[in-house]
Amino acid sequence: MTAGETKPAESARSIAWARRRQAAGRVWREFATDRGGLIGLIVLAIIVLLAVLAPVLTNEADLNVTTTELPPRDPPSADAWLGTDRNGVSVLLLIWWGARVSLLIGFSAALLSVFIGTAVGILAAHFGGWPSTILMRLTDFFLVLPTLVLAIALAAVLPRGLGTIVLAIGVASWPTTARLVRAQTLTIEARPYIERSRALGAGHAHLIGKHVLPAVLPLVFANTTLVVANSIIAESTLSFLGVGDPSRPSWGGILQAAFSSGAATQGAWWYLLPPGIGIVIVVLCFTLCGRALETVLNPRLRGQG
Amino acid sequence: MRLGNPRVARSVRSLVTVSLVGGLVSVAAAPAALAQEQDEKVTLRVALTQEIDHLNPFMAILQSSTGIGRVAFDYLTRYSAKDQEPIEGLATDWKTSDDNLTWTFQIRDNAKWSDGEKLTAEDIAYTYNLIMEDETAATANGSFVSSFEEVTAPNDTTLVIKTRTPQATMLALDIPIVPEHVWSKLDKVDDPKMDQPPIVSSGPFTITEFRPKEFVRLEANKDYWDGAPEIDGLDFVFYDNADGAVSALQNGEVDLVNRLTPAQYETLEGEDNIAVNKAQGRRFNELLMNPGAATKDGEPIGDGHPALRDVRVRQAIAKAIDPQALAERVMSGYAEPGSSVIPPVFEDYYWEPTEDQRWKFDPAQANRELDAAGYERGPDGIRQMPNGTPLEFRLLGHKGRAFDEQSASFIVEWLKKIGIKVTQEIVQDDQVNEMSSAGEFDLMFSGWGVNPDPDYILGLHRCSARPNAAGHGGTTDSFFCDQEYDRLYARQLAEQDETKRQEIVKQMQERLYEQAPMVVLDYDNALEAYRSDKFADFNVQPQPTGVIMEQNGNWGYYQAKPGDGGAEGGMPTGAWIAIGAVAIVAVAGGGIALRKRGKSVDDRE
Repeated sequence: MTAGETKPAESARSIAWARRRQAAGRVWREFATDRGGLIGLIVLAIIVLLAVLAPVLTNEADLNVTTTELPPRDPPSADAWLGTDRNGVSVLLLIWWGARVSLLIGFSAALLSVFIGTAVGILAAHFGGWPSTILMRLTDFFLVLPTLVLAIALAAVLPRGLGTIVLAIGVASWPTTARLVRAQTLTIEARPYIERSRALGAGHAHLIGKHVLPAVLPLVFANTTLVVANSIIAESTLSFLGVGDPSRPSWGGILQAAFSSGAATQGAWWYLLPPGIGIVIVVLCFTLCGRALETVLNPRLRGQG
Repeated sequence: MRLGNPRVARSVRSLVTVSLVGGLVSVAAAPAALAQEQDEKVTLRVALTQEIDHLNPFMAILQSSTGIGRVAFDYLTRYSAKDQEPIEGLATDWKTSDDNLTWTFQIRDNAKWSDGEKLTAEDIAYTYNLIMEDETAATANGSFVSSFEEVTAPNDTTLVIKTRTPQATMLALDIPIVPEHVWSKLDKVDDPKMDQPPIVSSGPFTITEFRPKEFVRLEANKDYWDGAPEIDGLDFVFYDNADGAVSALQNGEVDLVNRLTPAQYETLEGEDNIAVNKAQGRRFNELLMNPGAATKDGEPIGDGHPALRDVRVRQAIAKAIDPQALAERVMSGYAEPGSSVIPPVFEDYYWEPTEDQRWKFDPAQANRELDAAGYERGPDGIRQMPNGTPLEFRLLGHKGRAFDEQSASFIVEWLKKIGIKVTQEIVQDDQVNEMSSAGEFDLMFSGWGVNPDPDYILGLHRCSARPNAAGHGGTTDSFFCDQEYDRLYARQLAEQDETKRQEIVKQMQERLYEQAPMVVLDYDNALEAYRSDKFADFNVQPQPTGVIMEQNGNWGYYQAKPGDGGAEGGMPTGAWIAIGAVAIVAVAGGGIALRKRGKSVDDRE
């Protein structure tokens, strides 16, 4: 804002960008003061980097069950630091590649869910009247449907694959986002500058695109981070229940394989613990980040300071 | 009929043992415990990890359901526990006419239905006639009556079966006998009422309660003609996965578990109060390849991949699969690599391919053959049919079955090497059933328990075993239909000379192997475990290397005996010591606590 006042010669666009950069810088500084959020972000960055670099750092061919030389269900050893699974594949390798699937599905499902939620929320709040009624009743309908049951049903009916899981989680988990975004949109639309630009003849597209969306986005962003955590858990649950994509290792899928081969009976902790701990760490990191972001961006959550 | 009834001798002996040990125990340590055991009902709780498709004996196909049928219903004859030879069942004696076309069975007059009515030859005739006349009733067991001409019951204790051609399987009719007075009142055989208790039956146990996916409860039939079972009840409890069943066994919530994974077996082997049984199995696992599903009348059904109708593709797949690796890696050596549909445990009928005939694991050769057959690789490395359809197959398997889940990744990798893309579809049992009987699969994991008489397992591959348009009227394994095979089937069925029949049976297996509507992957060892503190050793079939559950009979359940109070396991002694120790600690601790409290009270005052 100050930038705009001191340099009136600049174009409106560059002013807006400068303001946004500044806001982002302020958000980052505030975020950085939250130690939990910062740790979460760093750990996440490392995990994502490792997952992305998996094809470079490891050999995918070692996942091939027909060529592995290691004995099955073997405790940790020099060849396999986290032991081997029921087929004689290194659990460490499975977890590593599983992270790719779990993160990919987590992100994609969260994006889909947030996209649907944001669209429904903004449209409902912006237009009001009967479109709002219809959209919100639709939201309510999906809200009361048990998420997991809906996701299982969808995953069971649709053909197997990553896309199906993403769709199942995304479609089942958008209503909370929609409610949140609608509430935020309503408060934004009540502000005078919206009324001003409406008076100046702004259309729906302009209002939503230029004013409402940018104002809602930070909150959506914080919400997305939290939804990713939920999506990863949902993915693991679906895979554990056996409706996941069996052709790729995901953390839930590894757990499911461990259980069905009798790892719990055998006491094969190296087979059961790593995927579980992996899920816990990633979900914890996302939650820490999400909470920190939310505190920064949502004034109501900011304490006395 | 040879029947040196070994059961009588055994039960007398066990009676002596029980009373002896009982006496010892009551003198020695725990009269209260014994009295309690006598008062309480003894129920054998069996864990099931497979679902129930039907309790209706005409429709039941899944092993779990037919296994329950074997304890609830009676059969014309039974297979002995010792060596699986036919012995008396409802029939006490039998003779054949000189032309082998007419069989006269003497039916016992001391068998009763669970509702109190008397079981007569009329009921048996009714059951067989129903299967002959009603297509739906022939769903599960139609193959046994395929050459029957007429079944009559001249009086209550005589059953006469006339066949069109001599039938070699007359003492192996695996058909549960149902009561005429109940079934004749039904409109249709697949009436859902018949999947719910009360189910009137005559076997050693009666089904009293059924909650799908929870349990099936059976009560002992105290009036059973071969003597009441020694236990009072039999519960089949469902578990979603084998680990759940195993921990239930460890906690004493169930008494008998089967289909263990090697990991579970090896763990349970070393545990107290649990005994394990590794049996040479009569089951095989196979990979079906949909050779073009069609109904009995040849009407195509389902959506199988057209390339699999080409026998060359099926043979190439057979060469790209390594049963040896599956037996070693998936089953950890608790299996023998498979070849034909009759497991080696039935040595008279077992056929082994010669070295020339055997599909040797040789992906390079398979690739050459597919090249020669005109299945060129596309740009993505996946082969295509001449019309451009890529060779992408779905692989259907049972969720929660470790063998399916694990072997699937092997199959995917192996077939990838010969340019075939496979996607896994691991789904619920009932969904697998539905899709397989509708022909909606390309590749599919399946498996069968084989009877001592090979007729049933061979009959599964006949053209006439395929279902009708409604999905009933037959149980096919792979929708295989081959005139040559059917001709051989008819010949073995009519052959009365045992050696000659074995020869034909082997030719059939050869034909099946060569046509490759399936690849037999392995013959599993049956891995079972039970609570040795609660139950005495079970009667296995065949002796001494056989199974407890999934028998060709009900000996395991029917002759289950409560343990001898665990006297030999040392469990009560240990328990009593533990209880004593706990009591002492509790008394001492309580005393100290009381003293302390007393002190503090004193102190306060």
